[in-house]
Amino acid sequence: MPDTSQITSLLTNRDLDRMARLRLNVSRQFTNRARGEHLAAKGGASTEFCDYRDYAPGDDVRFVDWNIFARIQRPYLKQFHHEEEMHVALLVDASQSMLFEGKLALAQRLAAALGVIGLRANEKVGAYALGAGNRLTPKRGRAAQGQLFRHLEDITGGGTTPVEKGIEGFLRQHRGRGLAVVISDFLTDGDLRRAFNLLHNAGLQIFAVQILGPSELDPEITGDLRFVDCETVNHLDISAAGDLLSLYHEYRLAHEARLSALCQQRSGKFLSISSAESFENVLFGLMRRQGWII
Amino acid sequence: MMPAFSSLASAWLFALLVPLVVFYFLKLKRPRMEIPSLVLWRQVMSDQRVNSPFQRFKRHLLLLLQILILVLLALAAMQPFLRREATRGQRLPILIDISASMAGLDHEGGQSRLDVVKKRVRDLIDGMLPDQEFSLVAFGKSARRLTPFTNNQRELREALDTLTVEDVPSDLEEALRLAQALGRTEPFEKLTLFSDGNFPARINFELPFEIDFQKIDPAGPNFGIVACNARRAPGGRWQVFVQIAGSQNAESAAGTLELAQQGQVIAHQDVALARGSSPRLAFDLAGGQSATLEVRLKLNGFDSLQSDNIAWLTLPETRPLAIFVPESLAGYRHALEVLDQLSIFPRPDAATPSALDLVITDREADLALPARVRCTIGILPEDLRPLVQVEQHNSQAIDWRRDSPLLQHVNLRDVIFMDQPVRIGDTKEEAFGQLGYEVIAQAEHGPLLVEKRTGETLQVHLLFHTDRSTLPYRVGFPIFVSNLVEAAWQQAGLAEARAIATGVLPPLAATPNQGYRLEGPARQRHEMRSDADGRLTGLPAPIAGEYVLKGDDGSTQRIGASLLSSAETSLATLDRIDFNDQLSVKAAPAPAKSDRSFWWALAFAGFLVLLLEWWWFQRGSFTTA
Repeated sequence: MPDTSQITSLLTNRDLDRMARLRLNVSRQFTNRARGEHLAAKGGASTEFCDYRDYAPGDDVRFVDWNIFARIQRPYLKQFHHEEEMHVALLVDASQSMLFEGKLALAQRLAAALGVIGLRANEKVGAYALGAGNRLTPKRGRAAQGQLFRHLEDITGGGTTPVEKGIEGFLRQHRGRGLAVVISDFLTDGDLRRAFNLLHNAGLQIFAVQILGPSELDPEITGDLRFVDCETVNHLDISAAGDLLSLYHEYRLAHEARLSALCQQRSGKFLSISSAESFENVLFGLMRRQGWII
Repeated sequence: MMPAFSSLASAWLFALLVPLVVFYFLKLKRPRMEIPSLVLWRQVMSDQRVNSPFQRFKRHLLLLLQILILVLLALAAMQPFLRREATRGQRLPILIDISASMAGLDHEGGQSRLDVVKKRVRDLIDGMLPDQEFSLVAFGKSARRLTPFTNNQRELREALDTLTVEDVPSDLEEALRLAQALGRTEPFEKLTLFSDGNFPARINFELPFEIDFQKIDPAGPNFGIVACNARRAPGGRWQVFVQIAGSQNAESAAGTLELAQQGQVIAHQDVALARGSSPRLAFDLAGGQSATLEVRLKLNGFDSLQSDNIAWLTLPETRPLAIFVPESLAGYRHALEVLDQLSIFPRPDAATPSALDLVITDREADLALPARVRCTIGILPEDLRPLVQVEQHNSQAIDWRRDSPLLQHVNLRDVIFMDQPVRIGDTKEEAFGQLGYEVIAQAEHGPLLVEKRTGETLQVHLLFHTDRSTLPYRVGFPIFVSNLVEAAWQQAGLAEARAIATGVLPPLAATPNQGYRLEGPARQRHEMRSDADGRLTGLPAPIAGEYVLKGDDGSTQRIGASLLSSAETSLATLDRIDFNDQLSVKAAPAPAKSDRSFWWALAFAGFLVLLLEWWWFQRGSFTTA
């Protein structure tokens, strides 16, 4: 019998309580020009003092510090921090490959958690199922939690669109700077560099979470096998001989390193986890330790 | 040692390599596994390291292992073996000597020769190849086939285990003839002979096959009884003679020779035996009722053969010879009166007994008298009348059998016979032989004296009457009568007694058409039936010892059988056997080495490779576990 006291099946109430004091640790350069709660690098109209500068003709005289003018007879203009809003785009890979070994479930929970953290920080949080195409337009405020949960719960997976194509599709609909949390297995033949460039150019800091199943992290090969790609239905004949597994691990780690480099070069963050890892360990352990959330 | 294959036909299994390789590359049963993405695997498979020749080899290691397994199994199926002999036979008769000498021990408590042979033959059986067939033949005095040609090792071993020594001399000719008979239905090129080499140096046999003579080392020193007999002595006594001989390797020995009757020692002599000596011991015993003597040789030291240390001798009862001579033949009665231990009938003081030992008569009416030896004077036997007629003319003997017991020291030269036997028509001498007669004295136109043996009776026919000849006046006449009496003694079995040798017992007198059972040592059992003439023949006695013949009427007769073979006692051995056709076979310098099959090693290697393949195939699972 389902627990009716739970707000969502994705997160427990206890997890929601623990997330109350967490904030997404994003860079200021990716905030939106609209007012928000993130201080912009340039001056703004908030109440928080930032600096003085010489008065120039045309400046709003309301910001002249008259106390200083009275003392030294020169007009100085008070500058204040500009608080800008930030978009948090949750991109969940809903392709067929994510249905293996609970990858999609973990992705949904992580997206829900990061979305809740964003909403509680008064960010505009939107969600997009890569490959499936259904989208939650950016929402602000705690009231949007319910919509977010329902949207994420409705992601069923099974799509066939590669992640890079899904990102391109997302960017065609998205406006606003901020953070793009991409949760996928990133197992694609496509050009991820281009997709990440597009995200970066769109003013989105990339938080990439790679979720791989145990069979992908440590595959078992016995004898001669015919591997069939679940998305493309292409096949590849494999014979368990020699150092095939060690080569596989070598290529997997290289792929991770490449993804990490792609993210870091674009001021992003990258995290590779196993779908077998517990959600709590990932959110409150790994992500906090690596500075994803503070 | 050259490897060879005994089942080359199984090489067709190599043809299975083709479907094996084809099926491997077709991968007809490659299991499908759905995975999230082929991205990483494609990169792995396109890596140069995966496609290096060594890696390609490793990728097909399973195939190579499967090929190796198939090759090993095919080789195993071809029945490989290491050839340890220049020649080998698919069919190999194995002749095993089980004569008395094979019971000889090498030392006190040691192995018998037969035990050594059994061990060697068992090694041969253990090493026989699947395409080989052995046939075991045991031979002593006679040969018998223990098994047909078979490759059933169990059957061969069981037959080998049942082999026991027979206390008989060996007769290699019998064994070779049996082998030759086997070869007519199932040809072979070679046979193996296991023996201690105790048989005659020359064998009357033409070799149609090769012989691998496996000679067993001779046994230890041996002394034994090689002859035992008794002769009638004056005064109704018996002179018992026992001869003892030793083997070539026997130095000297001392002991006692005992004569026992019904378990009681009645005489004994201490004996000192030297190398090469063959003493003959004599015992003087009183006569009387028929008795069986047991002669035992008891030596103080080691004696390798026990079966020749005992012998049985049955002495007949002592009685005078019963002779019937009509009073009309005064010359014969006169000649008989001077001889000892005779009872001549008819006589006034005693009735003529129903059973006689000798009848000498010129009356046809007396021919009905039962007698072991019957001598007719001037009576032409009924069956000879178509061949011979007697004419009243003078004649002389022109030839006679001087070696005949009846005519020993009898000179018929210048004896005038007034009866002249004449052959009728063109009757040839062979015609007498066809009727069972042997002509022992010949006149000019026909036989003078003939004899005929019928069963246990001897008939002597003088086709002339001695009263119408000058023979009674010659010195040869009493000698002839004495010879007749001696023949009667012999025929009655009262003159001498000989210990019966093992093998087959001599014909025994019995109740006609009655069942008998012969029980002997070593659980020997044999049942037979006497013939219409009241004789039991062909009674087997392969083991030295006392046999008891029991009749259905409750009668019991004891017969002792003894080895009495100087050849077996001597344990003489030959290193070479000479055959008729100037061929000779030398003993093999080393024990026969059987070919060694190693198909099992290949099969085991195949199994190991199979395990390796399985491990290789499953090693990923192990790592995960």
